[in-house]
Amino acid sequence: MESLFVRYRNLVVLLALLTVQLFGLALQVRRTPGGTSMLDSSDPSGVRLIRLWANALISPPERLVHSSKIGISATWSNYIDLVHVRQQNKDLESAVDRLRLEQAALLEDARQGERLQAILGFQQKYIYSTIAAQVYGSSGSDRSRDFFIDKGRRDGLKPDMAVITAAGIVGKVRDVFPHTAQVLAVNDTTSGAGVILETTRIRGVLRGDASGQLEVVGVTADQRIQPGEHVLTAGGDLIFPRGLPVGVVKRVVRDPDRDGLVDIILTPAAPLDGLDEVLVITSTEPRFPPQDEQDLAASKADEGAVPPAIKDQMKASEIMAEKLPGLTDPNLPPDKQPLNDNSNPNPAPPPPQPLHPDEFSPTANDDSGTTPEPESSPKQKPQMTPQRNP
Amino acid sequence: MRVLGAESRRDYEIHRYPLLVYALVLLGALVLQAWLPRVVGRYDWFDLPLVVIVYFALGRRNPLQGSLMGAAMGLFEDALSHNAIGINGIAKTTVGFLAGSVGIRIDVDNHTIRVLLNFALSLVSSAIYIFVARFLLGLPAEWNGLTELLRAVGNAVIALVLFPLLDRLQVRD
Repeated sequence: MESLFVRYRNLVVLLALLTVQLFGLALQVRRTPGGTSMLDSSDPSGVRLIRLWANALISPPERLVHSSKIGISATWSNYIDLVHVRQQNKDLESAVDRLRLEQAALLEDARQGERLQAILGFQQKYIYSTIAAQVYGSSGSDRSRDFFIDKGRRDGLKPDMAVITAAGIVGKVRDVFPHTAQVLAVNDTTSGAGVILETTRIRGVLRGDASGQLEVVGVTADQRIQPGEHVLTAGGDLIFPRGLPVGVVKRVVRDPDRDGLVDIILTPAAPLDGLDEVLVITSTEPRFPPQDEQDLAASKADEGAVPPAIKDQMKASEIMAEKLPGLTDPNLPPDKQPLNDNSNPNPAPPPPQPLHPDEFSPTANDDSGTTPEPESSPKQKPQMTPQRNP
Repeated sequence: MRVLGAESRRDYEIHRYPLLVYALVLLGALVLQAWLPRVVGRYDWFDLPLVVIVYFALGRRNPLQGSLMGAAMGLFEDALSHNAIGINGIAKTTVGFLAGSVGIRIDVDNHTIRVLLNFALSLVSSAIYIFVARFLLGLPAEWNGLTELLRAVGNAVIALVLFPLLDRLQVRD
């Protein structure tokens, strides 16, 4: 037995590794009532631990690489490349080149400044509370469209928070780590969001296809859906607030799986392939500008006070009430007031009396009234005595 | 392609590396695989962890080590994505095993052979990934032939550059 194991050791280890991983996969996938398979949205504790370890191991060097990229490129353009330029150009050309480099750097800074200003302006105007975050890494596979941002649990992020830019929606927070978070982009195949077409008001579900294109799936074929129409979030998925830009209709294709339905291919509103800064919506409680907040506070403070106009109206109504007849009589005691009189002012009329009453008439048993007679009291019946002829 | 017998394979040297090289190269591959797609955008037709797995498994000529290394790297890749943990693990485990097994039989010091093997094993890895995701788990995964071919070419090109550099890190007696 031992020799058999030693002989086939490689194969046994391979089979053991594959079996363990297959078993682990089986724990993560569940069948839906529709008969299809899907990943469990909440990771089991073991899986979550593996993701945490992987993130803790990969994230710090990845962030280091990302942050040092700027320093390396600056060193390259400001030192190495300048030396090279000086060697080749000893006169005016070197100065011109250096100025061009500086101009390019300044232009890049200006662009970044504009971008940040735009996102900051959007953040200030936006009614919900948001946190700005920087994208620093991805999953490294085009089979899973997700990326990492440099804000995490310590910054108040939680799973399923919406991630947006000023241009449109980007995705949702999938997993949160202490200092970082993983965001599932809307163009992933497992992503989903409720959307609505702006003019035709047709609703659908947004997801990504295998090549990373945004599409609205399962829409009933409609001639009104035309390229160029804007698509917005519908707000029914409890993740994305209503009315955020999603994209523009690019084309409409027939659903290959279901007759009569079409898929709407979209051009995304946000640049999903080149994201640098994003906003995470941390609270969907409305956040108003300071002036509006002051107005709200003032109106709440005045809630108990009666405005002068209302006071005048109340005075007028009191005068009218005095002049009109009321239900209170000042000359009567409180228990005799007409307001407390429960007697019916319009009693029901008595039933009509029959002209020729018989034993079936309601009045025939009036002596008994509505109460039944006791069994012990015999009724007086007409006595029928036979007549004898003499 | 020169195929060797079991006896003659002993004549070939097994590549050995310092432990630090293993750790740094594997970690570097994972970090760059996660970071580079942000730089190159949608042209991320490469799989650096796969390239280094094939390199070390071929060099070590040991299917067992190749399988373990492939499993570890694949699981890390899965953990960084939102996918189920184990899909890449199974694909890379198999690739590591195949590379280690082939390394016993083939002259892996030949750059051309190594690059061609990298190309072929990239396609094998993608096929196993799609098979596990689509047919075993029933998840939405589609085979895009052009993308997989470009990824295999990208891996082969990276191997062409990277393998000679990594060869310099070998421990030579």
